[in-house]
Amino acid sequence: MHAKALLIAVVAALAVACGRSAGTAAPNAGAGPLPDWSGIWVPDVEDQFAQIDTNPLPWTPEVAAEVKRLTAAEAAGHPKGLFANCLPEAMPAWMLVSHNALEFLFTPGRVTMLGESDGNRLRRIYTDGRPHPADPDPSFHGHSIGHWEGQTLVVDTIGVLPQTYIAVSEAVGVPNNGGLHVVERMHLAGADVLLDELAITAPKVLTTTWTTTRRFTRQKGPNADILEGVCLQGSFAEQTDSRGDAVFVAVPHTDEGNPVPPPAP
Amino acid sequence: MTRQVIALSFVVAAVTSAQAHHSSAMYDQQKTLTLRGVVTQVRWTSPHVNVSVLTDSDRGHAGVAWVLEVTSPGNLMRAGWTRTSIKAGDRISVLVAPLRDGTHGGWCRGVTLLESGKKLEC
Repeated sequence: MHAKALLIAVVAALAVACGRSAGTAAPNAGAGPLPDWSGIWVPDVEDQFAQIDTNPLPWTPEVAAEVKRLTAAEAAGHPKGLFANCLPEAMPAWMLVSHNALEFLFTPGRVTMLGESDGNRLRRIYTDGRPHPADPDPSFHGHSIGHWEGQTLVVDTIGVLPQTYIAVSEAVGVPNNGGLHVVERMHLAGADVLLDELAITAPKVLTTTWTTTRRFTRQKGPNADILEGVCLQGSFAEQTDSRGDAVFVAVPHTDEGNPVPPPAP
Repeated sequence: MTRQVIALSFVVAAVTSAQAHHSSAMYDQQKTLTLRGVVTQVRWTSPHVNVSVLTDSDRGHAGVAWVLEVTSPGNLMRAGWTRTSIKAGDRISVLVAPLRDGTHGGWCRGVTLLESGKKLEC
């Protein structure tokens, strides 16, 4: 009788547990052992530049004319500063043209990407089985859901602000203008090489979905830790005020917004 | 005095969005200058480190203030730098890709600390 009661209790507990898992998908549902993506990942910048010619984007004619103008301006030494305002490089430009390292964090139900050089480089990729919101709040990095297909992380991103750039360099790019949809397949291609295969759909500026692969190389060790970076920190000098407090003071700027160097002593 | 004012105005014009992510196309990568002088300031900040240098006086002409742009602290750390590898007061020789417009700013390509002979890649 006592054993029968215990059995009933166990069955009831299992039923409750099953009910929970039916209501919220298990973290990393369907995934086997996750790959080792530890360390930091440094983008292959030379390959980024090479693809400007080898894998051109299917720009609409109007956008192609603007890209041509921006390219000529950069070649003439007058680059447009797409990211000079210190707003996030954002999606998809962060993946396409960054010169700075990034790292991955795996936690149950989520992959987090953190980028160096700007504190505002952060992507949260939900791998817990949730769908996209019906009407996501637009953001710089959008809403990302992912799942594992073996050792490949498949990421779907929507809800990106229309102002974020589709860029081929830090000086040549155009706003996506809305409707951006990015599908990525991230996987290792060797012990220390990570590929991000992107399919970018941007109906306002591209005539068809554009595919590209971005390469990242792993570094490990004490000198490879990601450093804190605050893009606007360079706009402030570290000084001591009249109270003796350590303070940040805005650096004097020219009319063009450029910091003025210290005068010669 | 007039010369100093002119030199400073050049430098003011030369510093181009040095603190944010940007193309390096404003620098003439086909040219290399070698500057010798004393470091007046190092700003170890993301996304770009800035090094200010007062060049040595030359044949009776006063030194000129230059501002050199370097890559990010993270990239420099992985190239062997620390934030104190170069300090105010250090005498250096530095290879520079200068601004295309001829003003006194440039992209740092390599530094030699003149007292120790130590070389640092930018």
